[in-house]
Amino acid sequence: MKRDDRSRPEDQSHPENSAQEETESVNRREFLSSATVAGLAAASVGATDQAAAQQVASNESAPGALPPTAVQEAMEAEIPAGYSAEEAREYFVRNPGSDFMVDVIKRLGLDYITTNPGSSFRGFHESIVNYGGNQAPELLTCVHEEQAVAMAHGYYKVTGRPLGVLCHGTVGLQHASMAVYNAWCDRTPMILLAGNHLDATERRAGVEWSHSAQDCVRVVRDYIKWDDTPFSLQHYAESMARAYRIAMTPPMGPVAVVIDGHLQEGEVGDHSPDLLPMTPVQPPVGDEAAIAEAARWLVEADSPVIVADLMAHDQEGVERLVALAEALQAPVVNQFGRMNFPNTHYLAQGAAAVAQADVVLGLELFDTWGVINTLRDRVHRDAVRKARPDARVISIGTNDLFTKSNYQNFQRYYPSDLAIAGDAQATLPILTDAVLSSMLRSRRATNAERESRWRDAHARAREQALDEARYGWNASPVSTSRLYAELWNVVRDRDWALVSDDNMQSRWARRLWPIERHHQYIGRSGGAGLGYGAPAAVGAALAHRAEGRLAVNVQRDGDMMYTPGAFWTAAYHGIPLLTVTHNNQGYHQEFMHLQRMAARRQRGIDGSSWVGNELRNPDIDLARIASAMGVWAEGPITDPDDLGPALERAVEVVDGGEPAFVDVRCQPR
Amino acid sequence: MSVGLGTIRSAGRGVLVISLWALGATVAVTQESDDDVREGRALYDSHQCWQCHGYEGQGSVAGVRIAPTLYPYEAFARLVRHTNLMPAYSPNVLSEEQLRLIYAFVQSILEPPPLEDIPELDFE
Repeated sequence: MKRDDRSRPEDQSHPENSAQEETESVNRREFLSSATVAGLAAASVGATDQAAAQQVASNESAPGALPPTAVQEAMEAEIPAGYSAEEAREYFVRNPGSDFMVDVIKRLGLDYITTNPGSSFRGFHESIVNYGGNQAPELLTCVHEEQAVAMAHGYYKVTGRPLGVLCHGTVGLQHASMAVYNAWCDRTPMILLAGNHLDATERRAGVEWSHSAQDCVRVVRDYIKWDDTPFSLQHYAESMARAYRIAMTPPMGPVAVVIDGHLQEGEVGDHSPDLLPMTPVQPPVGDEAAIAEAARWLVEADSPVIVADLMAHDQEGVERLVALAEALQAPVVNQFGRMNFPNTHYLAQGAAAVAQADVVLGLELFDTWGVINTLRDRVHRDAVRKARPDARVISIGTNDLFTKSNYQNFQRYYPSDLAIAGDAQATLPILTDAVLSSMLRSRRATNAERESRWRDAHARAREQALDEARYGWNASPVSTSRLYAELWNVVRDRDWALVSDDNMQSRWARRLWPIERHHQYIGRSGGAGLGYGAPAAVGAALAHRAEGRLAVNVQRDGDMMYTPGAFWTAAYHGIPLLTVTHNNQGYHQEFMHLQRMAARRQRGIDGSSWVGNELRNPDIDLARIASAMGVWAEGPITDPDDLGPALERAVEVVDGGEPAFVDVRCQPR
Repeated sequence: MSVGLGTIRSAGRGVLVISLWALGATVAVTQESDDDVREGRALYDSHQCWQCHGYEGQGSVAGVRIAPTLYPYEAFARLVRHTNLMPAYSPNVLSEEQLRLIYAFVQSILEPPPLEDIPELDFE
């Protein structure tokens, strides 16, 4: 098959015509490139040459049988000086397929494409840079595909807009796979673009073979929502539009589209592909009758409790949850998969609130069973119910819309008493209206007492958190409470955003910092796969850069060692980000697991839990690593009194538009 | 105000520990206890109690705060030996004497500064 014919799959389906087709194809190549350039002009965003568009339309009525048009002849005249027409056909491509691919990307509105370069998408790469002007999308250079995916992950969680991630279809996707899994578990949309060379007869010898596959997406298919391998540019345009919609429809997740090397590098062909209009998809909403029943249960409950995890897509989601909680005067347990609810609101309560609930409303819970029960980590893993025996559970979410099963990230099954399939944020206004309309005056009269009770409980919890933060205050290594308290003092007067999860630092950000806006906290990695922290923080910081916010990343040392190259990307692209390490010199979670096993087997742990878990001897100089990546860096800080001044110096650097890094030796948790 | 008095004598060591429980604060009075505290600290380190409870016993999301001492020795020992909160450390891996030394160390940890003396914790 000739490269120029790649966009005409109908030719390949009729091998009996191959001889004649070959002749016609060769003849057509005399003027094919000119016709396809006109086709692109008609199809491209912002195309103005209506005459060219009309001409292409007339060409499509009889492909391959028309004489050159005026436009085509004009293009023929563009043969560079000193070249024959035959030489020009062999040396140059006027209208590469990847230019059209970039037009499609522009129509989708992807702000950036993260990538580590690869030959399987060299045509696409060139089109982004020169044809697309490296703007919207702009390429972000990454030094590992795991980093590239995690950057897209972090960016989405701030902006709500997916990025493209450009990978080698084989080795690139294998590198990317861990981060794709995190994004899948965390319901984060992104579009993976995988370069590949399907046509074995046109592969260059050597690495182009080892970097090609029959089905390159297979390596990640278990944890993406959808993928396709387009065989023509029109197929590509439609698959990209479909991919975008599927990725952005709750439950959201990554999707992948293969971009064949020959489609990228060949001429568009005489079948000019069409760009498709993009229309937003409305999220699925829960059943109206079921919502009315849920409202009745909640209004009649003496002690309703709301638990939210992967719920709020944006600030609107936060405000909708506040409206429901205040209507019911029901406490909200925010599990912080997303920033769902302001922790300064008096209805923000700890997980213990579930124990007294007679009705529990779960919103996009990652683990409904785990809210109601707990499994004790003993020899016999017995389940213990945490909630009241008579507590009824309403669940609203999209978990039941998932269709993949191999990777078990859906947690233990819990038969909710009322399960409503639908996006919780989209469903909340209907539920709140139903609550308000069904609430009698007598029930409404109880709200004042409930409010008073929860205000007292919230104030007590706040006092307790501040008191507990004192303990270990002057300790070295630095306590995690002091780490966050010192950080707060350099961010408190700024428009700040935390771009890391504080779960491994005893949740001190959630306990101490006033977190009120959706963008101020981006939740966890999803799959708990290490290597997420630094690149996700850089991606999120990129999003905050556009808003002029100070992005703060508390970076774990073990996680950092997987993807330290993310800091180079931050320096290279001028992404301001304050990174402060929670450096406990080891894989702390595994220390505890080893201790538990040794105690259970009565072998003792007298020093032996360092084996396989420590990151010392030699100590890793994280500041030097960051510095070597071009990032201003300081540390390790061991004296807690040195931390505040170091942070002040670092913030000055970030204010100048650059990343800064402070390594802090910390307590384990 | 409730005041508790506990006397713990470790065989051969003559350790006397008196704990005054007043509004959650603990004052440790020890006899011949410096060596015990040092040994207790070493045991606390080598058995890596600090992985969950912190180097100063301040606690974390992984393990409760244990210093300044909140518990009489009997409660402390029960927490270590028979508990759903942490791995059960039997006398086969942590002897009674070792546990008492660890307790002596935990008792030696001082109360942190009061909240009003820490401006960094002024979140108003």
